[in-house]
Amino acid sequence: MDFDEMDDMKEARERARTFAEKYFTEELAESADRDEKFPMDLVEISRKEKILDFSNPWKILVSIEELCRRDPGLGISVTITAFGSENLMLFGSDYLKEHYMNSVLEGKKTMGLGVTEAGGGSDVSSVRTEAKKEGDHYVLNGGKMFISNGQIADFFVVLARTSPPPSPEKRHRGLSTFVVESSAPGFTANKLHGKLGVRATNTAELIFDNVKVPEQNLIGEEGKGFYYIMTFFNISRIYVAAQGLGIAQGALDRMMEFAKNSTNLANEGDLKEEIHFAIAEVATRIEAARNITYKAASYLFNFNPNPVVTSMAKYYAAETAVFAAKKALEITGLTGITSKLERVYRDSKILEIWEGTSEVEKLIISRMMTKNQGGN
Amino acid sequence: MEEEYGILENTVRDFSAKFIENNALKIENEGINETLIRSLAEQGFLSMAYQQGVGKAIDMKAFALILENLAKTSPSVAVKVLLTNLFLTLATEESILNEVSSGSKSGTVVLSELLGGYSPKERLAINGNRIQGKKEFVVDSDASFIITLVDSGELVLLKSGFSKDAKHKRLGFRGLDFSTISVNSDNFDVIAKNGLVELRNAYSRMAIPIAAIAIGIAEGSISKAVEYAKVRMAFNHYLKDFQPIAFNLSSNLAELSMLKQYLSYIVGLEKNSTEALFLKTRSMEAAKEISKNALQTHGGYGYLEDFGVEKFYRDSMALSILFYNEEKEMEQLSEYVFDSKAGFV
Ligand SMILES: Cc1cc2nc3c(=O)[nH]c(=O)nc-3n(C[C@H](O)[C@H](O)[C@H](O)COP(=O)(O)OP(=O)(O)OC[C@H]3O[C@@H](n4cnc5c(N)ncnc54)[C@H](O)[C@@H]3O)c2cc1C
Repeated sequence: MDFDEMDDMKEARERARTFAEKYFTEELAESADRDEKFPMDLVEISRKEKILDFSNPWKILVSIEELCRRDPGLGISVTITAFGSENLMLFGSDYLKEHYMNSVLEGKKTMGLGVTEAGGGSDVSSVRTEAKKEGDHYVLNGGKMFISNGQIADFFVVLARTSPPPSPEKRHRGLSTFVVESSAPGFTANKLHGKLGVRATNTAELIFDNVKVPEQNLIGEEGKGFYYIMTFFNISRIYVAAQGLGIAQGALDRMMEFAKNSTNLANEGDLKEEIHFAIAEVATRIEAARNITYKAASYLFNFNPNPVVTSMAKYYAAETAVFAAKKALEITGLTGITSKLERVYRDSKILEIWEGTSEVEKLIISRMMTKNQGGN
Repeated sequence: MEEEYGILENTVRDFSAKFIENNALKIENEGINETLIRSLAEQGFLSMAYQQGVGKAIDMKAFALILENLAKTSPSVAVKVLLTNLFLTLATEESILNEVSSGSKSGTVVLSELLGGYSPKERLAINGNRIQGKKEFVVDSDASFIITLVDSGELVLLKSGFSKDAKHKRLGFRGLDFSTISVNSDNFDVIAKNGLVELRNAYSRMAIPIAAIAIGIAEGSISKAVEYAKVRMAFNHYLKDFQPIAFNLSSNLAELSMLKQYLSYIVGLEKNSTEALFLKTRSMEAAKEISKNALQTHGGYGYLEDFGVEKFYRDSMALSILFYNEEKEMEQLSEYVFDSKAGFV
């Protein structure tokens, strides 16, 4: 067993770190947060500099970590423009790959994923948006809530009901996924204002009012949407875990900086133990979270995904990010609360909510384990 | 007597319902306006520390009730009331006391020297008959009068000759300004030569009121979560039906209820400084933990300001930094516990 990072991971990490140091200025991070403005110019630069190398998922993972370490809002904005693309990669036709996915991976287009609805996010099978087949197209009616890139994406992967569930217990059947263009007549995106954190990211409510979707935009087979989305989450949750590692590491950086500059000494040159303990606790949790995340990633990137370990990674890394941001603020007090740490504290909380709340991840872990479907 | 407190509690609740509840978001985004300040004054909330004929002794139980109930809807308003009364306990000039307690002018107190992580980058010094320099970390920096320490250790009351400078980032209490102030003033009073001691004493006397704000924050957030869990469904069940949600919120409420009972008990004690610290430290933790649970119970909606729960998450942390110094207050508590200096290495 080798815990050393591969050379290309190290190189990607270094590149992302240098990029973030250069472009993620506090001024930009602060204005994007204050004005709730998506940093499109920054995204363009990151695309030009090919900060995300889609040919190597390990490189993506460590890049997300480094970018979020510097600033979660900007880091996530830069790395979320291809959100949902794995659905096309795994289940899309050649047409969908060529017509939609490639342009996203080449950095020419932006996409998003529309699963959550106003009536429910955790319970994915409660989707009410309907897609009715009419001739050579589907007609979409309904809406989606909290959709990242909602106002800026060129198209979305959308989960909709194409046939009624066979029984109330089998509501996950009869769902399908489509590529829906934001330029289609009947499509509206309303920006959601006033988020606690990640305010640089763009979040919107989507409304579909008789939106025509060509039949070739159906992803994979009709009725398999729920399965596709769950498969997708088993990939994306690893990247959310990477966001968590980055955020936690960034908070730890601030704690270390504070400790080094601290006048908070017990004896000459020796920090008080409360600070030592806080640093040790955060650092240990980050190490543990990183090990679970890399293990989950290793399973996945070797085409042997392990949803239990993936959910453990997402749940634990998210909680680690929130824990680290809280500890960092508590230790740094007035210095911290008037620094960018206050933003990090607000940003971190989203990780326990999106792409499966911590509660949902725990349910997945224990349900699959009790059915002997994963884990160790 | 108990009946009077009951009436007071209802008065504050009615006041909150009438003046704050529907404006809570506006207060966060636009600040506390003059009409609200006047209404707070009319109710006597701004003059708990200054009632003519009664002197400066605060009825702690009444004050705690007011702060707790205001914090349930707007922690910013509760902090405004706290700072105003803290100001009144320190200021001496009759005309200023009248102006501030009537809401026609406002006063605040800078506590930064007492707080954790404080390292001044700016200086504020008395030069002859002027005070010059800057003071960071002024909560409610819009105030007409400011009480602050100067570098040479005196506690001074600035009456004019200061203005807002750089704004600080605001995690919490967004209804109040939080900035550095620039000072060039010859219009000030020295309130105490040994300012730090005076300031620390005044701050210590506010331990119960500060705890009451923490309790109010926790109550405000949990009541939203309980209501939400009754109506929101997931997987064909109300959220309240799921054990983790029901058990967490219930155990949060159990803790809160004990904190409230403890508060009522200690305000009746003749001496209660240790107990006040016990209460403050536990209330701070409870506010942070409970507001986090409340936000989480709301799922994605908890993350949006419209649902009025994320502010409690921010404010509980802000309270625990701007009105609590965990290290120092735990050291103080340890000293009580061990009967000698403890917990300093
Ligand atoms: C900023 C932001 C960006 C987002 N981006 C996207 C996006 O791009 N695409 C997208 O599709 N969605 C997105 N979401 C939605 C997000 O994934 C959902 O908010 C999340 O899945 C939770 O769903 P909900 O908000 O409906 O909460 P609910 O499902 O209503 O859950 C409320 C609470 O109940 C708990 N709960 C639910 N069921 C159970 C149970 N059985 N046992 C115990 N507890 C339970 C939950 O954990 C949560 O704490 C985003 C959300 C936000 C805030």
